[in-house]
Amino acid sequence: MNKMKGLKSKVFSWEMFLIVILLLEILVFGQLNPRFLRLNVLMGSINDFISICIISLFVTFVMVTGGIDIQAGSIVGLTSITIGLLWQDKGFNVWAAVLVSILVGTLCGLLSGFFVAYTGVQPMVVTLGGSFLYSGLALAVVNMSSSEAYEGISGFPESFMKLSSGNIAGMPNQLIIFIALVVIAYILLHKTKYGRYIFLCGVNSSACRYSGIRVRPIIMSTYGLSGMSAALAGVVLTSYLGSAKSDLGSSLTLPIITAVVLGGTSNLGGKGGVIGTALAACVIGILKFGLNMSGMASQYLDIPVGILLIIVLAFRMTGSGNTKLLARLKKNRGK
Amino acid sequence: MEKIKKALKARELSSLLCLVVMFLLVGVVNPSFLKPQNILLCFNGSIVYVLIAIGMAFVILTGEIDCSIGAQLGLSAAVCATYLREGASWGMAIALCVLVGLVCGTINGIGVTVLKIPSIIMTLGTNGIYRGLIYLYTGGKWVENLPSGFKQLAQKNVAGNLSWFFVMDLVIMVLIFLFLVKTKRGKRFAAVGDNEAGANLIGIPVLATKMKAFMICGLFAAFGAILYVSRVGFVTAISGNGYEMKAIAACVIGGISLTGGVGTVIGASIGGIIMASISRLLVFLKISSDYDNTITGILLIVIVVVDALVQRRSVEKARRERLSARVTAAEGGAFNE
Repeated sequence: MNKMKGLKSKVFSWEMFLIVILLLEILVFGQLNPRFLRLNVLMGSINDFISICIISLFVTFVMVTGGIDIQAGSIVGLTSITIGLLWQDKGFNVWAAVLVSILVGTLCGLLSGFFVAYTGVQPMVVTLGGSFLYSGLALAVVNMSSSEAYEGISGFPESFMKLSSGNIAGMPNQLIIFIALVVIAYILLHKTKYGRYIFLCGVNSSACRYSGIRVRPIIMSTYGLSGMSAALAGVVLTSYLGSAKSDLGSSLTLPIITAVVLGGTSNLGGKGGVIGTALAACVIGILKFGLNMSGMASQYLDIPVGILLIIVLAFRMTGSGNTKLLARLKKNRGK
Repeated sequence: MEKIKKALKARELSSLLCLVVMFLLVGVVNPSFLKPQNILLCFNGSIVYVLIAIGMAFVILTGEIDCSIGAQLGLSAAVCATYLREGASWGMAIALCVLVGLVCGTINGIGVTVLKIPSIIMTLGTNGIYRGLIYLYTGGKWVENLPSGFKQLAQKNVAGNLSWFFVMDLVIMVLIFLFLVKTKRGKRFAAVGDNEAGANLIGIPVLATKMKAFMICGLFAAFGAILYVSRVGFVTAISGNGYEMKAIAACVIGGISLTGGVGTVIGASIGGIIMASISRLLVFLKISSDYDNTITGILLIVIVVVDALVQRRSVEKARRERLSARVTAAEGGAFNE
């Protein structure tokens, strides 16, 4: 009996709903443009939205603790331009430059995380400041290099370019990177003690503190993780585009938050999951990619994404606990 | 005396102090900055920011947030500029511009109050939608060749070089301040943000108030758009991009708490002036304006963190005082027995 119930809840879960949407999208776009259904096109499409996928996985961690991270996009640009500067002007080996810039991204995340966890300022404000700060720093890094901001730094060695354009046994490298990160994030959030603590912080941080868990380092670490993922996305994007630019991630904030929330993570914390986020990121990515292939100009793509977000959320929010409380209050008032 | 003491403690004063210190520091490095005309130019540069910061203040006071005000401004500006270019009368163009802003704000409000979507997500979504609509409406082209009469509106000055738009901003700010602080209806906005359930229980229409806040925010985005068109003289598809974050930052710097219920529009306006002045100050420091964002970010984080630490200390002090008062009261009681 219990097993049946478990099965039923699995079949009707939010993740299942996202998979259905994903399949529907593939079917519809396949009808519009048969080229879309080729396996290599479909798998290669991830090149277009890998950064959203990578970052949203770890922004999920932040949102599960009840925070929000709107600075990840600017860390992408900072990472990218740091790689370019270290490689071109400072004579670093390109892989050493990658390592250093991932470290820089992580530190940026940790810095914001420190302010959120230890001063009690709202995460939205801190990461807003962070997004100004890191995008400004990215421009400062450009000024240190010998290149112009709008040109970017290009001409990276072949081995670095292979990171995103190569494939192993027909699977594009980017897809492999994404799947590996999904597995890592899943294990970290859903299978370890650390992950349980993250959920507990989001549900009730006072209870978490009273049960002897050090809340602050945990909250700080989630921002570090999201900074690190943004840096990874910056590396992959730089390698894919073949040029390091300071404004690479400037339009990522909307899709990242969309992916996390669409994936079933509550913005109030304590609820959510990595698999949902990964699926939602693919739903958004495939939607953009498919519309683009069916002939829609890329400037308009935010319209369908925004509408999708609002419709899906309106659908889910009606009937959530929050609404019921307000309705009850209203009823009491009416008497 | 009490009133003066209270005014000295107000958060707006520290924002004002921050502005003055910024000006003075730049003046120390480069004395030529401290001429009145340069400072007036800083004020003139902030006319759009002040307006959208006031609009944003309404939404933040109710405990919500509007991340789409930049796109609302861009869309209203595009509509306004297109009609002006086609030779429509000014009144017609301005009315349509205001209508667009109002509709945008209403859509946000419906999403938040009726559909129950968290405001940050709703407005991030509509930000993308409105921005896409600007591309659709303008076809990605610049809207320029506007009637010069309209552009000269922004050049009209009162008292030296001060733009009359800025004076108008100040008048609006004072009126809104009085509305929010002195009238019953105005106080609702802060009440809803401070304690939503409590406001509901004493009979304040919570959802209607939030709805109004979003509509007013859209309205002010449209007002900002009119000034933007007049001042800048052309509209592109990315006009107003990033203004939403600057408006939020202006509110936060001005002492409005994102948790809702705390702050005034005077603070928001001062924050708007600070945000607009940074790039101009950098010119006088002979620093590349590329550092605009860096300075903004550092300033925002420092102000907010210092504010939080000061607040925490005062809360702890108050708690200790309460505790010691209770202890002495309890001791007194024991003696009496």
